[in-house]
Amino acid sequence: MPSQLSVDYTKCTGCRICELACSAKNEGKFQPALARLKIVKYDDLGVDIPNVCGPCEEAPCVDVCPVYAMVRDPVSKMTYVNQDKCILCKSCVGVCVNGVIVLDTVRMRILKCDHCGGDPECAKACPTGAIRYASVGRIGLMGRHGKVTAYLREIRRVVTGH
Amino acid sequence: MKSNGYAGRILRVDLTDERIWTESLPREWIRDFIGGDGFAARVLYEEVGHDVDSLSPQNRLIVATGPVTGTLWPMSGRTVFVSKAAQTGIWGESHVGGFMGPELKYAGYDMLVVSGKAESPVVISILDDDADLLPADNLWGMTTAEVTAAIKKSRRDPDVQVAAVGPAGERLVRFASVIVNNARAAGRTGMGAVLGSKKVKAIAVRGHGAVEVARHDEFVQLATEAHMRVRSNPQAQQMHRWGTWILTAVKQSIGELPTYNHRTGVFDGWESLSGDHIRPRYTVSDRACFGCSLGCKKMNYVPDGPFAGTLEEGPEYEGLMAFGSSLGIADFATTLKANQICNRTGMDAISAGTTLSFAFEAFEQGLIDEKTTGGLRLQWGDGSAAVQLLEMIARREGLGDVLAEGTRRAAQRIGKGTEKLAIHVKGLEVSGQDGRTHRSIALSHATGARGADHLRSLVTVDQLGYREVAAKRWGADRLPEIIDPYTEKYKAAAVVETENTYCIRDTLIVCWYSVAWPPIFWIEDFARVLPLVTGIEQLGSVKELVRIAERQVTLKRLFNAREGIRREDDRLPDRFTKEPMPDGPGKGQLVNLDPMLDDYYRHRGWDVSTGLPTPETLRRLSLDWTARFA
Repeated sequence: MPSQLSVDYTKCTGCRICELACSAKNEGKFQPALARLKIVKYDDLGVDIPNVCGPCEEAPCVDVCPVYAMVRDPVSKMTYVNQDKCILCKSCVGVCVNGVIVLDTVRMRILKCDHCGGDPECAKACPTGAIRYASVGRIGLMGRHGKVTAYLREIRRVVTGH
Repeated sequence: MKSNGYAGRILRVDLTDERIWTESLPREWIRDFIGGDGFAARVLYEEVGHDVDSLSPQNRLIVATGPVTGTLWPMSGRTVFVSKAAQTGIWGESHVGGFMGPELKYAGYDMLVVSGKAESPVVISILDDDADLLPADNLWGMTTAEVTAAIKKSRRDPDVQVAAVGPAGERLVRFASVIVNNARAAGRTGMGAVLGSKKVKAIAVRGHGAVEVARHDEFVQLATEAHMRVRSNPQAQQMHRWGTWILTAVKQSIGELPTYNHRTGVFDGWESLSGDHIRPRYTVSDRACFGCSLGCKKMNYVPDGPFAGTLEEGPEYEGLMAFGSSLGIADFATTLKANQICNRTGMDAISAGTTLSFAFEAFEQGLIDEKTTGGLRLQWGDGSAAVQLLEMIARREGLGDVLAEGTRRAAQRIGKGTEKLAIHVKGLEVSGQDGRTHRSIALSHATGARGADHLRSLVTVDQLGYREVAAKRWGADRLPEIIDPYTEKYKAAAVVETENTYCIRDTLIVCWYSVAWPPIFWIEDFARVLPLVTGIEQLGSVKELVRIAERQVTLKRLFNAREGIRREDDRLPDRFTKEPMPDGPGKGQLVNLDPMLDDYYRHRGWDVSTGLPTPETLRRLSLDWTARFA
């Protein structure tokens, strides 16, 4: 099963280290505006939600692309932009439901997550494990394991008092 | 071209002439001051003289960032607000977490300097190269949460960062704060009142640019290692889970939890204010500021009781102390509500809480009565009275109008000997420490440039008994006195060294928690990272960093000296020097300040009798230029 980026927003603290790490790796500078993922923050509610790129079941960015520059890997179902074909119509930017396809207005190109070629920087940089990169089955297992260890830790805290 | 950690531009806003322009950042400032606090001190010293009242148009409000702001360096999301303080009339600075500083950097500015006064309320709006003054009559009167939401909505951009003042700032409450990201407060010294006096309701910033460093790959590697150090540090892990609430238990155990207006250091109801009690009952999510692996912020919700439905970030330890133990209130929900009022109306939790406890003690001693309080009975532990009085302060209503001036001015106004209940240094209320059980903080409180200050130097090594760290830093021959919290000996050396390190921290700018408690980074770490960011090899020398720190401390001292601050102002409230600690582990302890002050001035190269920097010190630190503005 191909690996995917998955998020657990209950663990996200909204620190935006992922955005920094993404732009540092892909652009060689710190520029969250050019990050291929986005933390959506709700300060009033105390909720932070990482928006990462696919794979979506339906891929509107592929469907909408008029020149077939957006292509989909049949196995991983990830989509990739072919910069040579792209005519910068920005249709994919507008249609992406996650808002993670970005237009670099300085160098005029479409920026889209490619999972850093199989070793995504955002997942490595995330301090709380809110963003993970693994096959979905494994992520479920790790989630359950995490819950059990947290539960055991809680019992120990209650029993021993610290 | 790489920007080497700096945007290279200063944004200037003159509200009186409605003029906005940019200036380029002088290169020599980087060499002499690095950034943050240092840049702001340079500007403030030059432009805000003795004749300027803090609430007049001539005062400046500076928002500054440092070379690592906006980068991957851990906890680099800090911003500093600097001005002549509304509360004390001397050097004022207030650091804040959140996301404001990085956004200003991404918009392309190292700092923002606001001068003048608008005719009617405005919002300073910054969107990359476009900076503008927008009319804000419709926003005037709103709480900080309302104005933040309104600006995000009208700009159709949820990522706009808003620094707002609330109703307290508009009414010039002396300890009004500036609130960024709804609940992160640039709290101390009254920055909100300065903005309010200029009729600025908010500063809204959005940037899409980049911060680049001199040696990107090496920097990213070092920053990644630094993040790992934060994550693997056991105290940092505790801090992520419990926030600063773990301090409540620590403070109680060493007898330094300010209780009943700093009268004593132990509080019977401390358990209701500790992390073990709070987290399972109230905490709904963990949050962090920009670029922070530690994540000490907690979102809390009160499910039942009189304050049911309160949803707010915080309070931190200081808020727990100020609205909890200091008022004899053993109820977290009350402190959360009080903290929310402070956030929404824009007031400093420490000063507000201490001012309340001043009023409570005055009431207890019969120096004020129900006629003065408008019928409120101010009795220790009465949360509802505290909350009512707090709201009265924000509205400047009745007794609240007097208390809105801070404890020093309020005591002068009330008279009747209430001065001895006003727990402040140079007009700034004392934070949640006690010099009697922790002598190095006594010295820090007395000498801090902005008054009773726990953030410019707080030696934790002595208090928590880190022997090895102390031996390494100050020499084994100074043990055990230097880490004995109950002696004055060698404390000045520890305070000076810590103050210097914190100074560099405040030029970078990074978070307090990365250096203090837990102490993850120290000045050597900053010396390693600075050359990678700035490309200036000179900044890789600890000796040079210490010189820069000394320069900065001395420059702030010169600013204060121009306002008339001398050795006799570096004093503590009588409570710490004349009333021995009545109970707890530190029972019987008192501060003997003078020997520590002598030592401190000698270390700093200041005159021991006056507390003023000597001409030799000024020459050594290349501060001769200050004479032109004396």
